[in-house]
Amino acid sequence: MSDDGEQKPAGALTDRHQRSSRGIFSEEPPAIVRVTEAELRACNRRELLKYGLGGAAVAALGGYATFGLSKPRRSKLLAGILTFDDDVAKAMYSPERLVPTYTKSEVTNLRVTYFGGAPDPSYIPGWRLTLRGLRSGRAETLTIDDLRRQFIIRDQITRLVCVDGWSAIAWWSGLRFNELLHAYPPTDNAKWAKLESSVSTDGMGHSDPYFVSIDLPTARHAQTILATQRNGLPLTVEHGAPLRLVAPMKLGLKNIKAITEITYSVEEPQDFWGNLGFSHYDGI
Amino acid sequence: METSSDSVAADGTVASLDVSVQPTRAVVWRHHVLVRWTHWLTVPLLLGLILSGVSIYSFGPVYQHAPDAITGNTDYVADVGIWLCAHVPGLHHYRDPPAWVYDHFGRPRSFTAALRLHWLLVYLFMLNGTVYMLGLVLGGGYRALLPRLSDIRDGSAMALQYAGVIFAKIVRRSRPHPHEATKYNPLQRLSYCAMPLAGLLAILSGWAMHKPMQLHWLATMFGGYDDARIWHFWLTWVFVIFTVPHVILILLDGWDTMRSMFFGWSERTGGGPR
Repeated sequence: MSDDGEQKPAGALTDRHQRSSRGIFSEEPPAIVRVTEAELRACNRRELLKYGLGGAAVAALGGYATFGLSKPRRSKLLAGILTFDDDVAKAMYSPERLVPTYTKSEVTNLRVTYFGGAPDPSYIPGWRLTLRGLRSGRAETLTIDDLRRQFIIRDQITRLVCVDGWSAIAWWSGLRFNELLHAYPPTDNAKWAKLESSVSTDGMGHSDPYFVSIDLPTARHAQTILATQRNGLPLTVEHGAPLRLVAPMKLGLKNIKAITEITYSVEEPQDFWGNLGFSHYDGI
Repeated sequence: METSSDSVAADGTVASLDVSVQPTRAVVWRHHVLVRWTHWLTVPLLLGLILSGVSIYSFGPVYQHAPDAITGNTDYVADVGIWLCAHVPGLHHYRDPPAWVYDHFGRPRSFTAALRLHWLLVYLFMLNGTVYMLGLVLGGGYRALLPRLSDIRDGSAMALQYAGVIFAKIVRRSRPHPHEATKYNPLQRLSYCAMPLAGLLAILSGWAMHKPMQLHWLATMFGGYDDARIWHFWLTWVFVIFTVPHVILILLDGWDTMRSMFFGWSERTGGGPR
């Protein structure tokens, strides 16, 4: 017998590495093993046992998760994957990493995403921004003219990405959230900002406040701005007049329109879509 | 020619225990245990990813047209549902024709549940793919998957032969299937090698869509965020288009091929499938 494989005694049927003398990328004929029926059956039994154990374990875990858990516990388990995915997103986030910017010629159409339709614009003349949770202990109230006067308005052309999948490139102008944080510092151990819009309405025209949580590391990012303008003109009511958040490193649903109140807090605040089963972090 | 050293023929009494005279079969080891396990785990994982992916797609279709004058619909997939419900007997009374495709191929239909399931499965899919690669390396199976220069000529010849199968049937000429000395024939090699690559690209384009800002370099590699969605969409079809003939051909090829993916060994000692 010239073939090494033919010399293998019975009972040698195991996973084996296909080695090759012709280099690590060459395919060589596999070693041929002569085995008895009994040995083949024993091998199949071993493999079947392993499949059985693995399958039973998967079925037991899956069955327990599907039928053994109460509905709240099950949704909590599935919510665990959101928490895990959020942790991955937080680990990826870098305050120094800038998102891509574009030229004015790359600006695209921007959808209007007010669910209940844009609110009645009558709120705009009397609009005020209220800041709470400040180090001073006071609540601050600012008009849009206060903001325009106190802060540098910068242009920013970035992509807005919706959780639904579509995206748009928009030209915004606004003040850096970070500069507002410096001018009106939050309490010392604050980690979060809750941004609210009291003017949002539902489909029937009834008041339906919108609110999002923003972690302060994101609020301090150089490209997180409180926009006052789009395409060089004051924001229209459909796009959040007179002040909206533009945080391109978050999903579009965090980019709240017509902000009326910002509250800083130590504990994570409520989030409109987070309460409805979406991620709370939404870092992209 | 005595091959067995543990022969007990000397005392002449227990010859039946002597393996050299028991009937034996020549077998080769075909798939490493990690390759086999991850191969089968891919089935539920990929199925779940596709079903939840279809559901997620329904909330923001990649391919849209101008709003239809009558229905206001912009989604080509919804058009398919409308057409099916209008033309297929028994579907005329379907309550929501634009949602027909999504209702039947998207699970779960809740957006948040579909997103959660997609994330859960994709982390498992990445883990599974890593273990598969490990199995390919540990078992040396990657060698048989690597394309070679001769595949250009032999693969084209095979493809031509397959294309001519119907013609050959008509003129009643038997066309023997070329026999390969290697584990896989050139077309198998091409498709089996393409699958891990497609899996890798699907994962990467998925991350480009999931984190287009933190991983903007990755999104740029796919041509930007919007194009990464197009890659992800068509890579899904690559899996579907691979799976259909894969299952049919494996069933046609016989039990040995299927068995080798279960138990690892094969009686095809002289190369790949006939």
